[in-house]
Amino acid sequence: MSTIRVSGLRVRHRRTVALDAVDLDLGPGVHGLLGPNGAGKTSLIRVLATVAQPSAGQVEILGEDVGEPARRGPVRARLGYLPQEFGYYPRFTVREFVAYVAWLKDIPAADVPAAVDLAVRRVGLGDRADAKVRTLSGGMIRRVGIAQAIVNEPDVLLLDEPTAGLDPEQRVEFRALLRELGARATVLVSTHLVEDVAAACTEVTLLDAGRVAYRGTPASLSAVGEASGPDGIGDSPIERGYTAALRAHRAPLEPTR
Amino acid sequence: MSTTPWHTSDDLAARYADGSLPESEAWSLEKHLERCGACAARVSAAVRQSPAAGPVLAQIREAVLRETALAKAVRPEAREAGRAAAHEAHRVSPGTLRIPPARSARRARLWSSFLVRALWAAGPAVRGAWTAAVWLVALGALALSYGAGVDASRPLLLALAPLAPVAGVALSYGVHADPLHEIAAATPSGGLRLMLTRTAVVLAVSLPLLTLTGLLLPAAGTPGAAAWLLPGLALTLASLTLAGWVGCRAATALTGGGWSCAVLVPALTASGGPALTELAEQLDRCLAGPRAQGAWGAAALLCAALLAARRSAYDHMEKP
Repeated sequence: MSTIRVSGLRVRHRRTVALDAVDLDLGPGVHGLLGPNGAGKTSLIRVLATVAQPSAGQVEILGEDVGEPARRGPVRARLGYLPQEFGYYPRFTVREFVAYVAWLKDIPAADVPAAVDLAVRRVGLGDRADAKVRTLSGGMIRRVGIAQAIVNEPDVLLLDEPTAGLDPEQRVEFRALLRELGARATVLVSTHLVEDVAAACTEVTLLDAGRVAYRGTPASLSAVGEASGPDGIGDSPIERGYTAALRAHRAPLEPTR
Repeated sequence: MSTTPWHTSDDLAARYADGSLPESEAWSLEKHLERCGACAARVSAAVRQSPAAGPVLAQIREAVLRETALAKAVRPEAREAGRAAAHEAHRVSPGTLRIPPARSARRARLWSSFLVRALWAAGPAVRGAWTAAVWLVALGALALSYGAGVDASRPLLLALAPLAPVAGVALSYGVHADPLHEIAAATPSGGLRLMLTRTAVVLAVSLPLLTLTGLLLPAAGTPGAAAWLLPGLALTLASLTLAGWVGCRAATALTGGGWSCAVLVPALTASGGPALTELAEQLDRCLAGPRAQGAWGAAALLCAALLAARRSAYDHMEKP
C-alpha cells in the first residue's frame, strides 16, 4: 500500500533544474532522504507538502492527485510539514504557536487543547509549553516545529532536517518518536546525518543532482559500503555505502550522455 | 538501545567560549548544558577565561551582588506582608470558597488567550506598523485641518485613504510578509482563504476609521467622505486578483503605484494653481459623480469575478 506516489517529477527553480525524472513510491514507515547539499531534498519535500509547484510529473498523496486544486484541501488536513526554515509570531508561546497551526489545519476547536498538549509533550517540551518561542534555543525551536507538524496526527509527515540543532541525547529520543510515528504514518525525513538514517529509518532514498541515486534499506546501503572495499570513504559501513552509492551513480553518467 | 553518554570536551568548551563553534553545534551544546552540571561548569570556566566575555561577566556579577544587597535591606517588610495575606487566604478558602479545578481554569485561560491570538494573527499587518500608519494618516488629517487650518485636508485624506487597505494586504500575506507563510501554505487554510480572512480584517480596520475621519473634516465642495470606499475596495480586489499572477508584493506595488500616478502626480506637476487645489480637482474627476463611482463599482465587481474564476491559482503556491 503506497501513500505517496511520484512519477516523472521535474522541478525547476528559475533556470536550474532541482529535480528531474524522479519516481518514488512510499508506504507507511520511516523513509530517510539522503543526499549532498543541493541534491534536491528540500525541493522534493516542498512539492510533497503541496507548497511548491512541479513543472512536470504526477504527485499522488493518500490516493489523491494533488495537481487538482480541489483535492488538495483534504490531503493538507492529513499532512504534517516541518520546513527547513520557518518563522513565528514573536509574542507567541509554544502552546499558542502549536494551537495556531492546529487551527490552520482545521482541527475541531474542542480537540485543539488536548492535541496541542500531546504534541508538545511528545517532543519533550511539556515544561516549556508556556514559554515564548523567541526565548528558546535553536534546538528547542526545531522541536516546536516538529510539534506543529504532528499536532494533527498526520498520515503523511514530511520533516526537512528535523535533527539540526538537537543534542545527541535528544537525537536518540527523536529517533524513538520517529519509529513510533512510522508505525502508522508515512514519515519522510530529509537529513544530512547518515547515522540518523541508520538508526531510525526502514528505507533510504539517496538523491544526487536532482535524481534518485539509490533506493534500499539502511542494511542494503551498508552492504554496498562493505562491498566497496576498505578504501571507501567514511567512518561506518553505512557512510561508506553512502559515498560508494553516490560514486556509482555519478560514474556511468558521462559515457551514456 | 544503549548510547555512550556524550559530554563536552575542553576543546569544544573553548571553541564555544570564543564563538568559533558552528551554530548547530552550539545549540546542541547549550541543550546538553541544561541537564549536565559538570559540562556547565567546564563551559563557564572557559567563558570566564575568554578575553571578550570575562570582564563583562565580572561586571554583571558585581552589579547583581549590589542589587541583592539592596533587596535584602527591603525584604523583611515585604515578607511580613506576604505572610499575612497568605494566612488570610488560607483562612477563607476551605468550604466557603471553592477554588475551580485547575484544569478547567487553565483551559478557559487558554481559550480566551487563543481567541485573542487568533484575531491578532488574522493579519500580521494589523498588529504591526500598518495600524500605526493608518492612525497616523487619520490623526494627521485632523491635525492639519483643525491645528494648522489647512481646509483642503480632506482631498489629501481621500488621496491617501485608498492606499491604506492596499498596503495592509501587502503586509498581511505572502512569503515576504508572513513569517508563518511556509507552514500555513501546507494547511487547508492556506492560500486564498487565509488571504481573504486577512484582507477582511484589514478592511474592517481601515474603512470605518478613515471614513469617520473624513466626516470629521470640514467639507469644501470636494467629494464626500465616503467617496473613497469603492475605489479603495476596487484597488484592494485588484491587488488580490493581480497577486494570482505576480505575487502579493508586486501586485500591491502595481495598484498602489497606479493610484498614486493617477491622482498625486498630475496634481504635483500641474502648472495651473497650488498643488492642493489641483489635487482637489483631480480627485473630483476621479471620484465625484455617479459615473465615476459607477466605474469604480464595476471595476470592483470585475476584479471579484476574476478572483473567483482564478481561485485555484492562490491555493498553490508561490511563483518560483
